[in-house]
Amino acid sequence: MIDKRTSLTDAIAPIPDGARIALGGNTLHRGPGAAVHELVRQGKRGLEIVKTAGAYDVDLLCAAGCVAAVSAGFVGYETPFGMAPAYRRAVESGVVEAREHACATVIAGLRAAIQGVPFMPVAGLHGSDLPAQRGFHSLRDPYSGTEVFVIPALMPDVAIVHVQEADREGNGRIVGTRFEDVLMAQAARRVILTAERIVDGALFAAEPDTVAIPGFLTAAVVAAPRGAWPFSCTPDYDYDADYLAAWVMAARDPDASRQFIAERVFAPVAAVAVG
Amino acid sequence: MESPGSILPWDMMAVAMARLLKSGETVFHGVASPLPMVAILLAKHLHAPELTYLNITGAIDAAPLRLPLSTVDPALLRGTRSLVTLADLFDLSARGRLDVAFLSGVQIDGEGRINLSAIGSYERPTVRLPGGAGSAMLMPTARRVILWRTRHDPRTFVDRLDFVTASGNVDRVVTPLGVFVRIDGRLHVESLHTGVAPEVFREATGFAVEVGPDTAVTPPPSAAELAMLRAIDPDGVARSEFA
Repeated sequence: MIDKRTSLTDAIAPIPDGARIALGGNTLHRGPGAAVHELVRQGKRGLEIVKTAGAYDVDLLCAAGCVAAVSAGFVGYETPFGMAPAYRRAVESGVVEAREHACATVIAGLRAAIQGVPFMPVAGLHGSDLPAQRGFHSLRDPYSGTEVFVIPALMPDVAIVHVQEADREGNGRIVGTRFEDVLMAQAARRVILTAERIVDGALFAAEPDTVAIPGFLTAAVVAAPRGAWPFSCTPDYDYDADYLAAWVMAARDPDASRQFIAERVFAPVAAVAVG
Repeated sequence: MESPGSILPWDMMAVAMARLLKSGETVFHGVASPLPMVAILLAKHLHAPELTYLNITGAIDAAPLRLPLSTVDPALLRGTRSLVTLADLFDLSARGRLDVAFLSGVQIDGEGRINLSAIGSYERPTVRLPGGAGSAMLMPTARRVILWRTRHDPRTFVDRLDFVTASGNVDRVVTPLGVFVRIDGRLHVESLHTGVAPEVFREATGFAVEVGPDTAVTPPPSAAELAMLRAIDPDGVARSEFA
């Protein structure tokens, strides 16, 4: 048995600048909040973020200057907090490239990577400007003759997923919706799990069908209680509405967002106390 | 209680959207979709009990105890007896088995195409928008797409989109002023909500529409519809989209 437990610092440290990082979760829910904060603290640069629907993770990493490109279908805080101000500003000023996907094309790209093929056909996209803008080609189906769009393989260098329970070997159990986390873990070269709780793997042996992410794919597992914060992590906690409202307000201004990051992200003890 | 005779725009929209759904249909909403969430539950509790309610959490026919503001919230898992993935739901649409998808657009044109990507140029936009989420794939593959938008003005309903995020099988568009129906690839005014003058609707729409004194009026919410709406959405989550 390989004990893959490590500290958050050591798990994130090997990620090089310019890496393509897939982040688990969706909008306000079960994103790897602690790991995102560690990426900011370690001053990573030039990252490409892969996600179907991002929010605080993408917004904060853009504000902190960590990001070169965002490959996502949607970036925003939904109705509670609206648009992502730092992401907006970064794209509008040309600092970050918005590689917009349909959420289904993120999935198609991950599936191509998973299956070891260069591209994946996907239904739809007809009549959209996205294929031309993003360079998604179409091919003629050799059987029926119809045109189908094909999405290039999207292989993350790293997938970071927050789970409710993991064992020391890096088997991960997700309670509730798995979002694209399993696809990300299968497609990525390297998987980092952060977990609310590290549990005895014997518990998983009794119910292996409830384990979403097999440990042999996992490179590092980090005990991270409240590690999704400020995202929700069902059933343990909801998203932190007060914190997110304060961040979105600060994110509208570059100086205010820098100050917020200095006070709230580089001071993790204070941040946990708020949560 | 609201005074009798005053129809709140979020009530009218939720009811108008619910009426478009039929029993037996598979119906999906994605992120940032409070009004569709309310409308689907309303339809299921009124005239469409055998509607299958699908949402981005992967829950099937969820019966939430409280309606969340985030429409991918774990609160939407309650009551589901199975769980699929978002990839499964896209696949359902891809193979032609999704009857209705609710989508929206920051800009909507006269063909019912939408822009959720950028105002200005795509590369250096004046406003970078959130992105189309699933719409570019769902809009051409779902059998019927219902668009909703809580803002009805010429900056929203435009003659020309800055960017076409998605195009496809739009059937209806529901706004606070009325309902469009798409016939032969163009949006036509199907009905005006109570109290909306034809010229108000015309001036709020940036593309040419035929609307006049003969245009139908959307039937106002019935007492039964309003009572069920209050029971489903006591906290007024539908109203949150108007904030």
